Amino acid sequence: MAELESYESALDAVPGAHPYPRTSRYHDVGIGIHRTADGTEVRYAGRRLLPPLPDGPEETRAHTVAAGERPDLLAQRYFGDPGQWWRIADANPVLDPDELTGEAGRTVRVPLAGGFPGGGRRV
Amino acid sequence: MFDVPVGQGPVHAALLMGPRLVRPVPAEVTEALLSAQITATAGERSGFQLAFDLTRNGLISRRLLPEGFFDPKTRVVVTVTVRGTSDVLFDGLVVRQEVGASNQPGHSTLTVTGEDLTLLMDLEERTAGYPNLPPWERVLAIVRRYSGYGIRPDVYREKIAQPPHQDLRVHYQTGTDLQYVTELARANGYTFYLEPGPAPGHSSARWGPEVRLGVRQHALNVNMDAHSTVDQLTFAYDGTAREEPQARWQDPANRQSSLLPQPSISPLRPPLGKRPTPALKRRTLSGTAKQQRAQAEAELLARAAVSADVVSGSGSLDVNRHGYILQPRRLVGVRGAGRAYDGDYYVKSVTHHLRPGSYQQNFTLSREGLEARGDHVRP
Repeated sequence: MAELESYESALDAVPGAHPYPRTSRYHDVGIGIHRTADGTEVRYAGRRLLPPLPDGPEETRAHTVAAGERPDLLAQRYFGDPGQWWRIADANPVLDPDELTGEAGRTVRVPLAGGFPGGGRRV
Repeated sequence: MFDVPVGQGPVHAALLMGPRLVRPVPAEVTEALLSAQITATAGERSGFQLAFDLTRNGLISRRLLPEGFFDPKTRVVVTVTVRGTSDVLFDGLVVRQEVGASNQPGHSTLTVTGEDLTLLMDLEERTAGYPNLPPWERVLAIVRRYSGYGIRPDVYREKIAQPPHQDLRVHYQTGTDLQYVTELARANGYTFYLEPGPAPGHSSARWGPEVRLGVRQHALNVNMDAHSTVDQLTFAYDGTAREEPQARWQDPANRQSSLLPQPSISPLRPPLGKRPTPALKRRTLSGTAKQQRAQAEAELLARAAVSADVVSGSGSLDVNRHGYILQPRRLVGVRGAGRAYDGDYYVKSVTHHLRPGSYQQNFTLSREGLEARGDHVRP
């Protein structure tokens, strides 16, 4: 039985074996381990570097912000998933997502669907 | 508020073609695409079939088809974006094309059929010796010949080490590279397949055990009212599928033959079900007496592992409703099928059916026993 149980927890010892889902912006970051003075291990997500900004107008489309819009509404509209608002924030780039739609009339660059960020292994 | 036209929906497919390096196809070709069907199976070659609308004065029939845009050995890459997350579904070569000319306007079609990049390895026969190389290094040497197509080797050491002895035997390959690599995989209980991705134009050649560890994909829910993600799911439990192979080995020193002990298959296939099925059949492997001991043991392990899956499931799902693409050759959880059939499964094969406005997947699952091992399934 001991052998069987080890399979269920076999991956717990491997750092980063339980990654964020593929829809997450933290999917490709590494998981680091910090050891505190008393020996306990604390895991943390590494620093995430922004992908290079899109250059031309072929890679993004322009969206003019109307009153009452929010980043998650834009994400639902262009990607079909409100959780993908961070792709728009990455392409512009802003730190505070509210900055994107703060004032009506601002032009926001929305990346086209089909980008392949990063290159992490699937297995 | 939203008077600007929205994109074509949450699923976007892109088609890339080219002789060796691929580039996006012209917009007319994308618009003419009627349907795409892609099949990916563990341990087998993947295939695709694309159907295009062939109007008489369209770009395809006027220029692209005569100029060789769809000729055999043209490379085809299909990528799909669901909810902003992209995946490469297929990377392969055109093998054959069919033109169905019809008297009714708008009913002429061009159908392009092809296979994945392992076709390259199956084209020419080769006779080559591999002195003093264990099986996994032989595979590595073969796969490295195809790096020009972006194929990255993902090769694992065999479970039962077979140290080569140049004085006793030099292993020779006769036949194509694919035949030899598949034969080596089968002798060790491994599978060999090409997995496209993660970026278009890249793929990894996996020669190793099936991926039965790691993170489960998003669960398939059945019979859960509004939370159901699967249209239908059928399970079958075949008690005679599992067999217990027996191998006899002769010691060349004293000519004594002995029955090899039954190996534990869990290093190759971690158990997914709680109640493993007992083997009803007993088969004797032929030809193991003359082999080296490690080779005979590996073959015994391979045969025991391959026949272990007795529970199989099949079903279909709508990607729009599920929200994720079900990837083949990985683990997935099933919820709502009852205590006997809930739990984790290995996704044996997936067939993608893409057409404008719909994305359906047919899949088959397998595992070796009833009842889930864990008490929860990743949602």
